Amino acid sequence: MPSARRLFLQHSGILITGVLLAGKSAIAFAERLAKHFAADEFATIYTQIIGQRPVINSDKINLILPEIAEDGAVVPVSIASELDGIEKLYLFADKNPTPLLAEFELTPLIAPFLTARIKLAESCNVILLAEHNGELLRTSSWVNVMRGGCGTG
Amino acid sequence: MANSIKIRSQRRGGYTEVKLLITHPMENGRNRDANGELIPAHFIEQLLVKLNGQLILTANMAGSISKNPFFTFRLKAGNNGDRLSAEWTDNRQNKDSAEHPLD
Repeated sequence: MPSARRLFLQHSGILITGVLLAGKSAIAFAERLAKHFAADEFATIYTQIIGQRPVINSDKINLILPEIAEDGAVVPVSIASELDGIEKLYLFADKNPTPLLAEFELTPLIAPFLTARIKLAESCNVILLAEHNGELLRTSSWVNVMRGGCGTG
Repeated sequence: MANSIKIRSQRRGGYTEVKLLITHPMENGRNRDANGELIPAHFIEQLLVKLNGQLILTANMAGSISKNPFFTFRLKAGNNGDRLSAEWTDNRQNKDSAEHPLD
């Protein structure tokens, strides 16, 4: 069944990207968003976002998630940091059909603390990238998902 | 889509914590209804948060944010009477916004 599933994911990905692009292909911003939030392999989206920039594993950014998520449709996530001046946060789930979950653009008026609720399709690594002083900092956390939240949630 | 946004704020030591709850289905386009038909994608693409009209936080997202998105964030400052506002746009170009005075 993996091939059928893959085919389905690919087709749904094309559909979603098509829908996203159709309405407002003229707007560069919308195009960038559609690319970032496309349904594709995690590695493809991740590489596209980091480009040529080096990524540093860091314990100065914290990603707080449950070890076990009963319901993948609603998984609480907290992001916190001791660093001041984080400009951007990217949150990924490496097994989700749409691997980028959210992008946050912060300004100096916002303290480095954020929570959200995310969907996880299956047990996976959740990865956080933080742009800080021109550097990309990374941390990640493994979550065991009991009931998947993307196809069914 | 009126009143889809609830905003609460609480002054803490040195910062103001803001809770934001939005009523939205956040369908990713991969779910099926009871008849096995695909439910079309319907999700918030962008959330803008402003303080006294100045943009302070942008969140871009897709269908991997849970139904009825709930966010918490912290303002470094926050004075009595400051106006906090939130507005979202979804993939169907629906929009809603709400304003909340800090107290």
